[in-house]
Amino acid sequence: MPLTRAVVDELARILGEDGLVLTPEGRLVYECDMHTLYRGVPDAVALPRTTDQVRAVVAVCRREQVPVVPRGSGTGLIGGAMAPRGGVMIGVNRMDAILELDLPNRSATVQPGLVNLWLTRAVQERGWFFAPDPSSQMVSSIGGNVATNAGGPHCLKYGITTNHVLGLELVTGRGDVVRLGGKVADRPGYDLVGAAVGAEGTFGVVTAVTVRLLHRPEAVRTALATFAGIGEASDAVSAIIAAGIVPAALEMLDAVIIRAINGAVGKIYPDGAEAVLLIELDGPRAEVEAHAGRVASICRQRGAITVAVARDEAERALLWKGRKEAAGAVGRITSAYVLQDAVVPRSKLPQIMREMQAIAARHRVTIANVFHAGDGNLHPLICYDDRVPDELERAVRANDELLHACIALGGSVTGEHGVGVDKAAKLPLQYAEADLNFMYRLRRVFDPDTLMNPGKLLPAHPACGEGFRPARPALPAGAWI
Amino acid sequence: MAVSTRSVGRALAGIVGAERVSERPDALAAAAVDGVAPRFAVRPATADHVAGVLALAFEERLAVVPRGSGAALALGRPPERVDVALDVRDLADIVEYSPDDMTATVQAGVTLGALAQALGRRGQWLPVDPPGAARRTVGGITATRASGPLRFRYGTMRDLLLGVRFVQADGVPTWGGAKVVKSVSGYDVPKLMVGALGTLGVLTELTVRLHPRPPAEATWLALFEAVEAAQEFALRLLDSTIQPLAVEFFDAAALRAIPAEAATAGIAVRIGSVEEAVRAQGEALDRIASAAGARVVGAPDGFWGSAAEAVEPGVDEVDLAIATLPGRLAATVTALADGAGGLGSEAAYLTTGCAALGTLRAVITGAAVDAVATLVERLRDVVAADGGGVVVQAGPRALRERVDPWGPVDAGALALMRAIRDEFDPRRVLNPGRFVGDL
Repeated sequence: MPLTRAVVDELARILGEDGLVLTPEGRLVYECDMHTLYRGVPDAVALPRTTDQVRAVVAVCRREQVPVVPRGSGTGLIGGAMAPRGGVMIGVNRMDAILELDLPNRSATVQPGLVNLWLTRAVQERGWFFAPDPSSQMVSSIGGNVATNAGGPHCLKYGITTNHVLGLELVTGRGDVVRLGGKVADRPGYDLVGAAVGAEGTFGVVTAVTVRLLHRPEAVRTALATFAGIGEASDAVSAIIAAGIVPAALEMLDAVIIRAINGAVGKIYPDGAEAVLLIELDGPRAEVEAHAGRVASICRQRGAITVAVARDEAERALLWKGRKEAAGAVGRITSAYVLQDAVVPRSKLPQIMREMQAIAARHRVTIANVFHAGDGNLHPLICYDDRVPDELERAVRANDELLHACIALGGSVTGEHGVGVDKAAKLPLQYAEADLNFMYRLRRVFDPDTLMNPGKLLPAHPACGEGFRPARPALPAGAWI
Repeated sequence: MAVSTRSVGRALAGIVGAERVSERPDALAAAAVDGVAPRFAVRPATADHVAGVLALAFEERLAVVPRGSGAALALGRPPERVDVALDVRDLADIVEYSPDDMTATVQAGVTLGALAQALGRRGQWLPVDPPGAARRTVGGITATRASGPLRFRYGTMRDLLLGVRFVQADGVPTWGGAKVVKSVSGYDVPKLMVGALGTLGVLTELTVRLHPRPPAEATWLALFEAVEAAQEFALRLLDSTIQPLAVEFFDAAALRAIPAEAATAGIAVRIGSVEEAVRAQGEALDRIASAAGARVVGAPDGFWGSAAEAVEPGVDEVDLAIATLPGRLAATVTALADGAGGLGSEAAYLTTGCAALGTLRAVITGAAVDAVATLVERLRDVVAADGGGVVVQAGPRALRERVDPWGPVDAGALALMRAIRDEFDPRRVLNPGRFVGDL
């Protein structure tokens, strides 16, 4: 239902002339996130600069019973920041100020539109950084990271976004502005910050975030090992962890990706390499040196073809080059793919990789893997050609089978991308009805009218009148993974 | 429809077996919470038992107080009612330990000591070390978010709990989170259960993230003539590349109690890594400490055990958790000393806590309730400016009747907490009245 003239005028008065996007072509920009197959154009896009403007917009939407869809940079991969039922999108990009830097107390308070990497840039000269590092960090917003509880390659050691969020300011679906948590630890009462991080906008709109900053480690060492098979590489992952070493990052690339990268940017991995492990260690120099030596010998013991340890920043960048080119290189082997984000217990990696090969063969699809092996977080890219009849269907079936296999091994539906509309229907694989019911009820506390980002995060629930377009889980090439 | 005590007792016996329900006066007295004896002391053996008991409690509107080791029974307001004391210590199985995944799933009544034994064989640990840790249950430290010096590196159960099985107030068994180290599927229900004092559900099974235990460890004790210098040292340490496991503050009384070298203030820095890195960080630490005017000594073996014992509150002692900022450590400790002047000549206190997080504890002995209450209120005023607070973690019931043990909670946040509590426990079955804001 489009907004009435009176409501549009009211929103314009709140936001100012340049703070409201109403033209069809202007709104079209906001119809999807990086999962471009889920589309929904908002009836208006609000671009507030202050918490008070957000509060006022939410108040209007509540009165009119219009959906509110928060959006950061739109780099999500789950169909989260789009408006399947129209309504008012609140784009927070203009709220990009650093409100407070308090390095002695290791914290910063920022507006939600601040780009992740900008925070680190603001403090890196003094030796500090913001740990969550989703691959999109040069463009994605901290508000978006909070909404999806984003991870990244280095969360193996440092934890995901929620481990670094100390406080939030939130305009709830009840219309209130609440301050949850803060710089000081140990607030008594329920951990509402913990509950709200990862809520994907369904509790309301985050308008400020207080985060923990960390001091840069003394040393970083990056190693790259190539293997003749994914099984050997998986064994090496287990052996590294079993040795009591927790690398900052532990990434794996499979044969399909290796060939794509070699084809795209020149031969950087040797012939016969069917799996690559990229291992990054950081911490005190003496620890890093000792661990780098052990990691190299573990990889050799597990049959590595080559093992290289970067000696300086230039060599380190070279070792990361392939990993960073991976998503782009996939464009050379496929026009489209279905992206997965499931997790298995790390010890089940060899098994799931074997099952994945069987699933790929059964459905006659190519599956490329570039993923966070250290924490068992898979990112298989199930390739398809949308010009070939039924290939998308086969890719979707392979995806479903793979997801079931991950859950059967004790895994999770999503490790770091979030649920959105993409995986909402999959949550029942992981949760029983009582578990989901608990979540519905929790959501209703923050958002009694189900107006905040409706249709996301939770599966359709007959009693709630929730519903959304059928999931078509597919992604174009070039998305961040 | 209310039923008689006799038929409730029969119903409970029907659920858990007659031998697991007691109405004997001595058993009820032993299970008392803040001097309030329950009508029934129930010791379930399975999660199904817990579900059955809560389903009955919901129907009969009974008040249930879940408990583990009992170490934190003096946390919170005195209970409004206690019908059933629900002792989960027989839920004591380590359900699954997967060293390669560095995860473990345990029943809520498993003690940290029992778990540590199983994990130690594989060089791993669940690094949570509140005083008396070995006797305390995993469920209890989760429900109370108890912590010790290791929280500096590893966080609290907030950071370590991956998945949780609990029984809601109406008896519905529920699961939240995942059994893998990384998952963002649905709301982060485990976070909501940590520190909730069992008011949203009785915890029955927990999946936790484990860490490798560092192969080598050493602790240095930096000693200072002034608390300000200790704070300065802690801040410089944070602004360095040293990565300690713990950065724990001890005041003069705490140093005496351990016993350790005498000084006005000490900061114990625990380093764990490979041996050469422990040594190198120790040298770096020494330089920073010297620059801050400290005298540095190596801590003897067993230092952390002695320290934990020294700061564990005894019966009738008061345990205050004082949350402030690392940059306000000295001001807070000074305010505590000023206020403690009013505690009376019989009173003594010691202060400890994580200097690098500003999470302090004061253990007070021999003081009158009114005097402690005045001190708590005064400290709250001091730390409130930075958003800090003071929680009475243990102490006589009279004290917790005199001052709100939790302290004020922001009105907006409290309204949400109340709404959550009303949603999930409208009949106030679980721990009625004990949690923040009279929830």
